Amino acid sequence: MVALLFILFAGLAVGCAIAMVTQRNPLYSAISLIGVFIALASLYVMLAAPFIAAVQIIVYAGAIMVLVVFVIMLLNIEEEVRRRMRLRFLIPTAVLLAGVLIAEAAFVLYFVQAQPSPQDPSTSDVGLTSSIGTGLFTTYLLPFEITSVLLLMAIVGAMTLARRETILPEGALVIPGAQVITRATVDERDVGDATPVISNTTAEAARVMGEDDPHDLSKID
Amino acid sequence: MNAVPHLSWYLALSAVLFTIGVVGVIIKRNVISMFMCIELMLNAVNLTFVAFSSYFRDVTGQLFVFIVMTVAAAEAAVGLGIIIAIFRNRESLDVDDANVLKL
Repeated sequence: MVALLFILFAGLAVGCAIAMVTQRNPLYSAISLIGVFIALASLYVMLAAPFIAAVQIIVYAGAIMVLVVFVIMLLNIEEEVRRRMRLRFLIPTAVLLAGVLIAEAAFVLYFVQAQPSPQDPSTSDVGLTSSIGTGLFTTYLLPFEITSVLLLMAIVGAMTLARRETILPEGALVIPGAQVITRATVDERDVGDATPVISNTTAEAARVMGEDDPHDLSKID
Repeated sequence: MNAVPHLSWYLALSAVLFTIGVVGVIIKRNVISMFMCIELMLNAVNLTFVAFSSYFRDVTGQLFVFIVMTVAAAEAAVGLGIIIAIFRNRESLDVDDANVLKL
């Protein structure tokens, strides 16, 4: 029964992984990758690691994949175009080398008979949250603290990378809630006077720039 | 079928997943697809850690998995920030278009 479940989840993981690599649309790849994560979480439960399984679902299938899908949507990525393949003579070589590698792995797996220790999850407290917490805050406290520093650096780095250059001059007073037009959206040749306008509302900006008030509903037919 | 999965089954599955990830990184040209293949490789390694942790009845492997997941989350945040910056500069996510480090 357990072996049957292993085959089911392993097949799901491998199938989803192959689907992820062969898909040309990145969004379908992302959904296949979520399938891999869920199959692996099921395998973690079978290995008596319920905490890791829960974290796998929450962090990987939840947080990281939401971030990836968000970026795919934000950048509006199209499907990859198929390219002309170069170096065709490498294909038979690759098939040959892959055969050698598979033979090697099969040899090792056939001759190394590892005896599994009795895996009865009910008698083991290894995967429980309390034992993980104890290990994390005693023996492995230093890696834990280094990880927190790493996360802080990641926050600062991501903010620095994703920040846009604004049109505001050096030292300008930024009013919270005011609209900031990025330099990329404004072509300076189209604008006669390129000095930035600082205003609190869109209507005020339109007045300063000499345009009609966009909120003036009387002009709409 | 009453067999219990051997440790070697998990290791073989992990090796297969890792190989698929490597192949994906090599054949894909889209940065986001390559990024997802790297996540797949990290997961394959995590499976090895958890399998050995269960086999040896030692919690250390699972602690390492926890730290690997944290690093993967940080990597996702910074990596996607870099991808957005590349897309803004080059209007493309093809790795062949980003072959110089300067803007």
